[in-house]
Amino acid sequence: MTPSATLDATARTLALVGHPNVGKSVLFHRLTGTYVNVSNYPGTTVEVSRAAPRFDRDASLLDTPGVLSLPARSDDERATMRALLHEDMRTLIQVGDAKNLRRTLNLTALLAELGIPMVLALNMADEANARGVTVDTAALAESLGIPVIATIATGGEGVVPLTDALKHAAPPAPLLRYDDETERAVQAVTALIARHAPHPRLAARGLAILLLGHDPEVSAWLDEKAGAGAAEIRKLITDTAAGRKEPLAALLARERGRAAEALARTVSKQAAGKDRSMAMRVGQLAVHPVWGWPLLLAVLYVVYLFVGDFGAGTLVGLLEEDFFGGVLNPAMTDFVQHYVTIPWIADLLVGEYGLWTMGMTYALALILPIVTTFFLAFGVLEDSGYFSRLSVIANRMFAAIGLNGRAVLPMVLGLGCVTMATLTTRILQTPRERLITIFLMALAIPCSAQLGVVFGLLGGISFNATLIWAGCMLLVLLTAGFLAGKLVKGRRIPLVTELPPMRMPVLGNVLKKTGGRLKWYLVEVIPLFLIGTLLMFILDRAGVLPWIIKAGEPLVSGWLGLPPEASAAFVMGFLRRDFGATGLFALSSELTMIQAVVGMVTITLFVPCIASVMMIVKERGMRTAAIMLAIIMPTAFFVGGVLNHVLHLFM
Amino acid sequence: MSQQERIRLLGTPVGREVRLAEFGDDIDPLQREQLHAYGLSVPHKLKVLQQHPLTVVLCDHVEIAIEHAVAQHLWVESAA
Repeated sequence: MTPSATLDATARTLALVGHPNVGKSVLFHRLTGTYVNVSNYPGTTVEVSRAAPRFDRDASLLDTPGVLSLPARSDDERATMRALLHEDMRTLIQVGDAKNLRRTLNLTALLAELGIPMVLALNMADEANARGVTVDTAALAESLGIPVIATIATGGEGVVPLTDALKHAAPPAPLLRYDDETERAVQAVTALIARHAPHPRLAARGLAILLLGHDPEVSAWLDEKAGAGAAEIRKLITDTAAGRKEPLAALLARERGRAAEALARTVSKQAAGKDRSMAMRVGQLAVHPVWGWPLLLAVLYVVYLFVGDFGAGTLVGLLEEDFFGGVLNPAMTDFVQHYVTIPWIADLLVGEYGLWTMGMTYALALILPIVTTFFLAFGVLEDSGYFSRLSVIANRMFAAIGLNGRAVLPMVLGLGCVTMATLTTRILQTPRERLITIFLMALAIPCSAQLGVVFGLLGGISFNATLIWAGCMLLVLLTAGFLAGKLVKGRRIPLVTELPPMRMPVLGNVLKKTGGRLKWYLVEVIPLFLIGTLLMFILDRAGVLPWIIKAGEPLVSGWLGLPPEASAAFVMGFLRRDFGATGLFALSSELTMIQAVVGMVTITLFVPCIASVMMIVKERGMRTAAIMLAIIMPTAFFVGGVLNHVLHLFM
Repeated sequence: MSQQERIRLLGTPVGREVRLAEFGDDIDPLQREQLHAYGLSVPHKLKVLQQHPLTVVLCDHVEIAIEHAVAQHLWVESAA
């Protein structure tokens, strides 16, 4: 879904930059016609996206991950800093939150030091207006020396004036001068950068300020470009920091904050008594110490009814039993058996492990209705801003496993797709948090397709079966997290996070996202289902499958208490966990309640899908991925077996 | 609370408007940067929206959740 993110230094480049969750991706869509995922929580964009803008098809417009502040601290902020350093950046479009001008100008103050021509888009002007905030854009433009345009990106307002204003983009006037001592240090580092590593686009002063604030990307760039001069610059920075009580990065940030506050005060006004909206009241209910939990349970129950009951029950019944089972598959079988005279080919198409009767039927009749309903529900919750609120009520639980509530966001996104959520861990602040979160997602977070199958199978048995499964997953998550928190070195960072306002989901956006995700599903998952079916067919024909079933009996039947045929589901699970879960779903008529719960718990904890493993390798390296897999698979069988024996004690 | 009196943000009653007066020494430099980036800088005005399970303040129309381990090291004074 993300357009090419390859850095290409030959194209004329413009970039959207700004804080997280201020509407950069919506504006990107408006300016390019290219849809990138848009949601109401910080950290939706973790990689740079690129497309040609409508107003200049030869240019390249970048949608960068939101930066809470520069110097960069998290991996997504580093991606933005890399784009600023390595692209042929001609113009920056800073997208700011109109209702929080002070924070917007805080970033402007830093960007101004980089000396790139800029335009400021004050977005969400409607929300600012609703809260009684008015900004004198003309006065602000005059102070900064750049065009300032009020926009409402979701409605397309201000987009044409913004495009027109790009012609008048200019390097902003500096917002501040630091104290004399800091200025001397900045100027000394600036002079050395200008001598040893002049940047073709970025001002040496801006790079000096970022270096003094210990920006890791600028530091890496300096090592690459300055050669022997890098050591001289580093020594100067170390000497500058040595005699100070307050870290330079904090001092620079504080001074910029003061300058931003002073300017914001002169160009904006706040009407009295308009600071509490209905959205804020709803948002506070979601994080209320008493009402937050019942609301969460209610939300989960509604999602369960929609996905588990309606999607996995009603829709799957209509599609799988009535349409595929009653009409399509018999017709297809008749057709194949009539026209295909080679028996093994007919069997490959419509036999027990047939590409149509198993692969396509699983993918289209069983999983598709479930993931469609899940993606719809997920899109609504995403757009409402509810997910960010979960970080507050889940913080205490996450503290127990050495994380903070921010980790809830990748995990919730993992319920959509663990592969993409692994990428989203870039919003977490430390490598330790990322490592633990990725491990827990690989172990115990089921993706949408798998979750749907779980709801479908266990929901069909009883609500209690689903509760036992959910409780077991939570217990594994907490226990594994607790142990990982003790084993992985580093300290826990307390949570400080913005809570985006609750908003009414926009139907068009929810449908667009659902469509995009379904397209991903059809393109990525169906081929894997077909490959898996082919593999099963070959194993069956070669006589290996019966051997695997026989060999797996002590583990699958003895320890887990499942029918021997369930071994085939675990073989399928190596390709995708949801494929394996679907294999168990197909056996549902033969399973008792305990077997269904044990089977689903084991397959949920089973190895992550191939795409997720590749993403873990990309983000954390081959060694880490191998260690994770070596822990995950035995854990799945251990937990499944223990659960089987415990449930038999009580049922 | 007098103009000079400072209390911890963690102990500030819900609904009270205060000014941020000081960052305690126990706040990690990186976390201090993060707080600045969210707009929490001295002497900015905040409104305390809730204290449990986390401290939530309203700062320039943006709600910011702060864990108690941080909120107890933020000192505030009356906004009046």
